[in-house]
Amino acid sequence: MKELKRYFKYWLLMSRNAFISTVTQRYGMLFFFLGKIIRFFIFVVAILFVLKGTKTIAGYDTNQIIFFFLTFNLIDVVSQFLFREVYRFRPLVVSGGFDLTLVKPINALFRSLMGGADILDMLTIPPLIIAIIIIGQNFNPSFVSSLYYFFLLLNGLLISTAFHIAVLGLGIITMEIDHTVMIYRDLMSLGRFPIDIYKQPLQGIITYLIPVGIMITIPAKAYMGLLSWPVFVGSLMFGIGFFLVALRFWSFALKKYSSASS
Amino acid sequence: MQIFVLFFFWSTIFSDPSRMVFGYDRGKILTYVFGVMIVKAVVFSARTVDIAGDIAKGDLANYLLKPISYFKYWLTRDLSSKALNLIFAVGETLILFFILKPPFYLQTNPWLILAFILSLVLAILIFFYFLLLCNMVAFWAPEMGWAVQFLLVIIIGEFLSGSFIPLDIFPLGVQKVFYALPFPYLIFFPLQVYLGKISLAFTLSGLLISIAWVLILGFFANFIWRRGLRRFAAEGR
Repeated sequence: MKELKRYFKYWLLMSRNAFISTVTQRYGMLFFFLGKIIRFFIFVVAILFVLKGTKTIAGYDTNQIIFFFLTFNLIDVVSQFLFREVYRFRPLVVSGGFDLTLVKPINALFRSLMGGADILDMLTIPPLIIAIIIIGQNFNPSFVSSLYYFFLLLNGLLISTAFHIAVLGLGIITMEIDHTVMIYRDLMSLGRFPIDIYKQPLQGIITYLIPVGIMITIPAKAYMGLLSWPVFVGSLMFGIGFFLVALRFWSFALKKYSSASS
Repeated sequence: MQIFVLFFFWSTIFSDPSRMVFGYDRGKILTYVFGVMIVKAVVFSARTVDIAGDIAKGDLANYLLKPISYFKYWLTRDLSSKALNLIFAVGETLILFFILKPPFYLQTNPWLILAFILSLVLAILIFFYFLLLCNMVAFWAPEMGWAVQFLLVIIIGEFLSGSFIPLDIFPLGVQKVFYALPFPYLIFFPLQVYLGKISLAFTLSGLLISIAWVLILGFFANFIWRRGLRRFAAEGR
């Protein structure tokens, strides 16, 4: 518990530094923030207009499709808020500057993963949660469905954490972290809509191999009361397993770090 | 991956092959999705994005000393980048075409194909001047170049050009507002010409509006460039 408190203090300190660094370019920050907000509303408006003409997509009505989209955004935005430092990892490995992270009395994975929270993403989280609550009310969820949704969201974040750890590990081995993280973002974008719209084998791949379905579609379905408990338990086990494998991969990758150019 | 999202999104909506929504049948909407991939590779790929960095770092001074036209130099670099991207886009499209096996609408009218090619050339020029203008913000705010491009090109430009969804799903009033801007002439208009979804009169007026946008944006790019050069002090060199 004491250790957890210590790391939380570190996180607050590093996040504050990242925030100060961001606000030094306040107009640029404003443009990026505006861009993120506009992009979100563009998608919502586009979905609404499409559904005005089609009524349903893959059997889901407007509220349900919007709910899937909001759930996708929540997991995506929280991941970017927490793990923005991953995007800055490559220069450290290439320059050998990662040595300085390794010699510090702080977990290197924690520093590389959560060393610079993104304030711009943090600002969009509360409105997203409010939107999820408002749209979610239309489904009259039971207490159990809400609980399923909450735990499956955490599970989605755990899988997202695992992906980011894997990206860091690959960054050490291949030094191509920029590309890997963009591939992850691209794969995540498949979860903007329920995975039911994809045909096999793609649907199977994004459910079990690249578990976008478990991260986004399954939590949203749970909230709508469309999920059985074995799928709930299976999803949680999958998430935990995925996370443990990612941790093992990080340990393996760390042993390959050569400290080149330092 | 975006092609997969769009392909399956529209494929699900048009799972009944006889369904017509927003004036599209299954063949035309999926041709639109694949068309976006190719047209976007041609129009949106550009090296001109680097100009803001050159201005901010003072590297622009290197180019000003050379006996070349700065605009023509970047247009040439853009065209070579587009050629390279086109090769990859065609390769990707062919692979996806064999995997997904979509129905494809093949335009056979030579006049429409000619108008499509002309609209593409104009789209390239509109985008070139628009991107140039966005980058020239760096003369006044060196750190803002990338932020302006993110907002105006990646977010607003991509949506209003119809690269996410065809613009004719919106009400007529909204479409009229869109058509008053340069963005629909980048992707949406060329693809409408290819699909033969618009009348001959609308095709001709669209081409004339595209020419007008090239001239307007070209004029402003030259004007801002001259103003910007007066401010340029090659800081950092």
